[in-house]
Amino acid sequence: MENNFFGEETAIILGLGELRVGKCPMGTIGLGSCIALILHDQRRSLAGLAHIMLPESRGVTDRPGKFADTAMCALLEEMVELGSTKSSITAIVVGGASMFEFSANSLNIGERNAAVVKELLQEQGIRIEHEETGGKIGRSVYYWPEGKGRLIIKRADGTCIAL
Amino acid sequence: MELNPFQKDALAEFGNIGAAHAATTLSQMLMSPIEMTVPEVLAIDIADLHNHISNEISAMVVFQIQGEVADGGYVVVSMPRETVIQLTNQMLGTTDTDREINEMDQSAAIEIGNIMISAFLDATAELLGIVMLPSPPALAIDMAHAAFESIVAQVAGDVNDVLIFNTELTSEAPPVYGSIYMLPNAELTQQLFLMLERMMEPLS
Repeated sequence: MENNFFGEETAIILGLGELRVGKCPMGTIGLGSCIALILHDQRRSLAGLAHIMLPESRGVTDRPGKFADTAMCALLEEMVELGSTKSSITAIVVGGASMFEFSANSLNIGERNAAVVKELLQEQGIRIEHEETGGKIGRSVYYWPEGKGRLIIKRADGTCIAL
Repeated sequence: MELNPFQKDALAEFGNIGAAHAATTLSQMLMSPIEMTVPEVLAIDIADLHNHISNEISAMVVFQIQGEVADGGYVVVSMPRETVIQLTNQMLGTTDTDREINEMDQSAAIEIGNIMISAFLDATAELLGIVMLPSPPALAIDMAHAAFESIVAQVAGDVNDVLIFNTELTSEAPPVYGSIYMLPNAELTQQLFLMLERMMEPLS
């Protein structure tokens, strides 16, 4: 698939369950029930992004980015290693949609994903700078860690927001 | 999960039988010939999913596999928006193609999915010698990848790759295009391998 959908060729697109910390632009394409958790350290122009699939790891550790709890730990650990302090980190949470109509079953995991990610952020005392979760719509996320950070969310209905 | 060429062939044949039945029912419904591709079987790492599933706005009708294999995974019919509108028009005898998706389209998509997937599961279950039934359908009209994530989240909680069967169905008149995907969970995947091994044993 095209992965320079915002005309940005240096972008790193993170697939399901992947995470990354760095200074380069990062993004995820087609977020449904999954969550893009972005932690940002303005002072260091450093950010971490995780494409989280499920809320709890239940002891599975081989793919930390896949679960909310392990992703949070892994991102923080890596950022602290690179010199960030918890107090200088802010968060952006995007995704967690409930994609399916006529479905009462477990397909709509999005809400739970979003709730757990926010709980974990609160536990860590990390402020949420921006949040766009829930709803019934797919989203693509793009983030530039430089300075204050720049965020673009592109929704399935064609609307876009830039911060 | 690495598939050897032998497993790949056998699984493709398995998908082929299901998809052929689904194509036949669609063809009868539309009263026009339907072309289908040879099914592709891929073991995809979840991190790689976005390289296989597009981000095009599609109607995705999703069924959980029930029956003897409880929660056996999911089967999905995916159609681009234009196809859904074409199919509704075909069934209702209307011609307007330049419009938004409405409730009628949603019902049509679900109904078509229902009929195709019932045929798909009937045929494949017979081959396996088990009963597989579709759950009631769920529908999403959105970025295909976004809808797929929710399904993958259900089958890949404990594993990092998913087995995907993909067949494309096309018709010239009306111009429609769709794909059938099957995502068996880990348990059903094992069962598929066992069955295929048995089928390949020499007759004695």
